[in-house]
Amino acid sequence: MSTILPEPHAYRPGKLARLKEGLRYQGGIGQWSWLLHRVTGVGILIFLIIHVLDTFFVVFNPALYDHTVAIYGGVFGGQYFWPLRWAFRLAELGLMATVLYHAINGVRVILFDFWSEGCKYQKESFVAVLIVFLALMVPAAVVVILPLASSPDHMVKVPANTPNP
Amino acid sequence: MARNRIKPQGGFELTAWYFMRISGLMLVFLAVGHLFIMHIANNVENINYAFVAGRWANPRTGWIWRLWDMSMIALAMFHGFNGLRQILDEHVHGAKARVAMHTTLWAVMTTLLVLGTYAIWMFQVDKAYVEQFKAMNSGAGSHASVK
Ligand code: HEM
Ligand code: HEM
Repeated sequence: MSTILPEPHAYRPGKLARLKEGLRYQGGIGQWSWLLHRVTGVGILIFLIIHVLDTFFVVFNPALYDHTVAIYGGVFGGQYFWPLRWAFRLAELGLMATVLYHAINGVRVILFDFWSEGCKYQKESFVAVLIVFLALMVPAAVVVILPLASSPDHMVKVPANTPNP
Repeated sequence: MARNRIKPQGGFELTAWYFMRISGLMLVFLAVGHLFIMHIANNVENINYAFVAGRWANPRTGWIWRLWDMSMIALAMFHGFNGLRQILDEHVHGAKARVAMHTTLWAVMTTLLVLGTYAIWMFQVDKAYVEQFKAMNSGAGSHASVK
């Protein structure tokens, strides 16, 4: 199932044909956990690029920073939109799940690398990853979603200009 | 299984292989800890300029958070961009295209690293702004209350 095969002799031409071939290939859990590790890795990187750019606002325009993070609470252009707040909460959960999966599965990959016998327990260890993931994610989801039950009683107001730029 | 899962024999790729593993283990603490602080210990709706100032410019503990964020940005950038390079290396084959791809990745990563490092170490609180913000948002019990 998860033995290391020699390089394939030939690929079919065309990205689409190769994609279809790849998805038909029965790599088992090893293949899917690896694909998910890759997708989550790139996902975190994309988030991190945006995150560093918006955090940079703190050093040149505090008001712009506050306007930006107010969107997180659903306040945009001085008005409150509840779907915006909900969307950001759900995206936040998605990001937490993405980081948690990549981290836990990453530890599993590292364990396999330094303990070669481990690869025999591909299935069992993946179940362990899922159990740890759920054990952390379920309580986290409760904490993140609960504040949505009460509507914000106060809207963030941001000073119009930086008085002291 | 994926080709890049196989341990390289030596040279840069072996160094990169070890780096991915060591940085990964450190990021478990740094990045998962960061998420815990931001989402579980705090409500994200409380994050604003004053919140960041209270962390980075704290006279006693500020250096800890600056050091934390500095380690996290450096490790996550190299780890993430090296991971992306490994993925693209499998798909980009032409010599010219590879040089262009590597150059772009390094340029983007360096720019972000410089911006992030600058923000972490050059940050100074704009006290007048914080006062004005607090005055405007001093509703009791509000989710956006500023401490
Ligand atoms: C939280 C702790 C983390 C751990 C334990 C971890 C672990 C790993 C490991 C073991 C690999 C495989 C390296 C290889 O196959 O040679 C990897 C790949 C990768 N990681 Fe992470 N990582 C973590 C955080 C991050 C973060 C924060 C980012 C984004 C900035 C990221 C992005 C990536 C990418 C893009 C890859 C390449 C995936 C591939 O080649 O399929 N990782 N990670
Ligand atoms: C939605 C989730 C997140 C929130 C609300 C958040 C919040 C913040 C805040 C408020 C700061 C400002 C500095 C501070 O107070 O320490 C910061 C900085 C930082 N965060 Fe996050 N964070 C999130 C997710 C992440 C993730 C997943 C990563 C890791 C890949 C990350 C990496 C960083 C880095 C590297 C910095 C320093 C940025 C710089 O130097 O400009 N954050 N974050």
